[in-house]
Amino acid sequence: MIEQLRRVGHTSLNQVAGIGYALAMLLSAIIGKPNPRKSFPLFIKQMYVVGVLSLLIIIVSGLFIGMVLGLQGYTILVDYGAEQSLGPMVALSLLRELGPVVTALLFAGRAGSALTAEIGLMKATEQLSSLEMMAVDPLRRVVAPRFWAGFISMPLLALIFSAVGIYGGYLVGSGWLGVDEGAFWSVMQSSVDWYDDLLNGIIKSIVFAFVVTWIALYKGYRAVPTSAGISTATTSTVVTASLAVLGLDFILTALMFGG
Amino acid sequence: MSNFVELNNVHFSHGERSIYEGLSLTVPKGKTVAVMGPSGIGKTTLLRLIGGQLKPSSGSIKVADVEVPQLARKPLYELRKRMSMLFQSGALFTDMSVYDNVAFPLREHTNLSERLIRSIVIMKLEAVGLRGARHLMPAELSGGMARRAALARAIALDPDLIMYDEPFAGQDPISMGVIVKLIKSLNDSLGLTSIVVTHDVDEVLSIADYAYIIADKRVVAEGEPQALLKDDTALVKQFLHGEADGPVAFHYSDDDFASDLLGGQR
Amino acid sequence: MESRKTQIWVGLFVVLGVLALLFIALRAASGSAATSGETYKLYAKFDNIGSLKVRSPVKVGGVVVGRVSNITLTGEYYEPTVEMEISADYDQFSETSSLSVLTSGLLGEQYLGLQPGFIDDTVGMLEDGDTISDTKSALVLEQLIGQFLFSQGND
Repeated sequence: MIEQLRRVGHTSLNQVAGIGYALAMLLSAIIGKPNPRKSFPLFIKQMYVVGVLSLLIIIVSGLFIGMVLGLQGYTILVDYGAEQSLGPMVALSLLRELGPVVTALLFAGRAGSALTAEIGLMKATEQLSSLEMMAVDPLRRVVAPRFWAGFISMPLLALIFSAVGIYGGYLVGSGWLGVDEGAFWSVMQSSVDWYDDLLNGIIKSIVFAFVVTWIALYKGYRAVPTSAGISTATTSTVVTASLAVLGLDFILTALMFGG
Repeated sequence: MSNFVELNNVHFSHGERSIYEGLSLTVPKGKTVAVMGPSGIGKTTLLRLIGGQLKPSSGSIKVADVEVPQLARKPLYELRKRMSMLFQSGALFTDMSVYDNVAFPLREHTNLSERLIRSIVIMKLEAVGLRGARHLMPAELSGGMARRAALARAIALDPDLIMYDEPFAGQDPISMGVIVKLIKSLNDSLGLTSIVVTHDVDEVLSIADYAYIIADKRVVAEGEPQALLKDDTALVKQFLHGEADGPVAFHYSDDDFASDLLGGQR
Repeated sequence: MESRKTQIWVGLFVVLGVLALLFIALRAASGSAATSGETYKLYAKFDNIGSLKVRSPVKVGGVVVGRVSNITLTGEYYEPTVEMEISADYDQFSETSSLSVLTSGLLGEQYLGLQPGFIDDTVGMLEDGDTISDTKSALVLEQLIGQFLFSQGND
């Protein structure tokens, strides 16, 4: 009994220490005076790796999810003679939930795992130590540009995802199933709100961007520097980041739309 | 003669495992010092302690008359510009060519023009015999070439101290010979202070001015190479001549063999 | 040159993101007047608010001018009191305006219909914090049926 209690205590202390480490890592990475001449090219390069290379998967999934929403929504709504509400249904589900959440999940799988593996590998091959010995702080040199790139590109990706998804829903709903084009857009416009739906969706994706990038970088930085350690860290990034996104999504949704 | 690096009664433990208990050694300026010992006694740890990446639990570590563990971040980084370390794997940046790897410390720490950087990089690459390989990526280099490229990067800023972490491990005899020759000639021509951590006895003793043998968490023997080779302490003999059993036990310590067999499950 | 290509791609990516934002903001969404900008508060008491909720719209002739911001029970007899935020663009409603709980369509949501009253020298305008006294409660289907049966019985 006492032994179990001790174990619970030990585990929770470890968890708290882990969060502390992660926070300390992030703070020392992003606080401090950056040198624009040196850090900006690094940031651009990471934007390419993290953002541009994720574009394809985001656009394709966005299009398909929008089309499926259009199709499924239509078959249900048409029974009530409410197929004109297809527009808002597609737009609201994308902007409020699917855009930020699915983007964050895809991002964790595509870019997050790559970040963890890359940093873990740099650690295993002593590149991080070597930077430190060359009097270059690996947190600022390696972690910071990747953090900012992830933090900025994910909300952009989520917006692209939602826009493409809405267009996909329009293609199916209006082009194929025959919902009136004017009604599709105007009903959508009248029931989708800048503040309630668009802004809240963007806030969600900013929070997710922060959490997913942070988890990915931390897992890589603290990875056990062996091949087994890196593969464990990569898996753990995807699992932890996905769970964090879904959990946070519930909390954020409750805060934004629950009251 | 002044000492460039001085360790005095250093204690260090990794988690609950104690690694050093009362380690003391000195490295005179301009000399090549070998630090030898069996695997797994934390020789790399020693270099990290000197570089300030790890902090000892007690004792003093002085580099260029500065107490390293007490340095704040900024002066520590200043001090590190004067030392460099050749890692076992080379630790070249995998996303840059050999040229950019060697240019990296110059671009980070100096405001030299690209033309000047180019001349320095070419000179350093020539010194390690890799001038023709400058456009290759690290993945395209053999192990020996990677280590030489890393050496070129390590001397790019003309440091006062170079620490070699197992420079001979896993090399074929030819590239081993090349690296031995390089360490020797760099030391002589640039007036560097070198610390070579290794367990390849013959190679390092041929170039070292002074050698330490570490075992059992502290220095067990020291002296000039010739004197050490004549030493007939059991442990020194075992290590230098590669005998399988002796004071350093072949078996990882455990209970008595017989009682373990008889004891069944514990 | 490698880094030039990278820069172009990143530029394209950012432009794409901004275009997506513009597309959504202009084509798919709109800001209703009552939720952005200045608002003022009006109150109204009802006998029954039906299924009116916080954030239900307040409409004048079908145009949204504000939203319900709070619903409480007040007074000795626990009357439902509705607090509304009305856009400051529409601040010229007279004190004789009336408010009713209406339903959009047969199955739709309930909303508040504001019927502007007449304006002459004897009546003032509604200001922040005023209460609209002329209200019509929600129609509750069960009560309607009950009334119908009762009136049938009287014949």
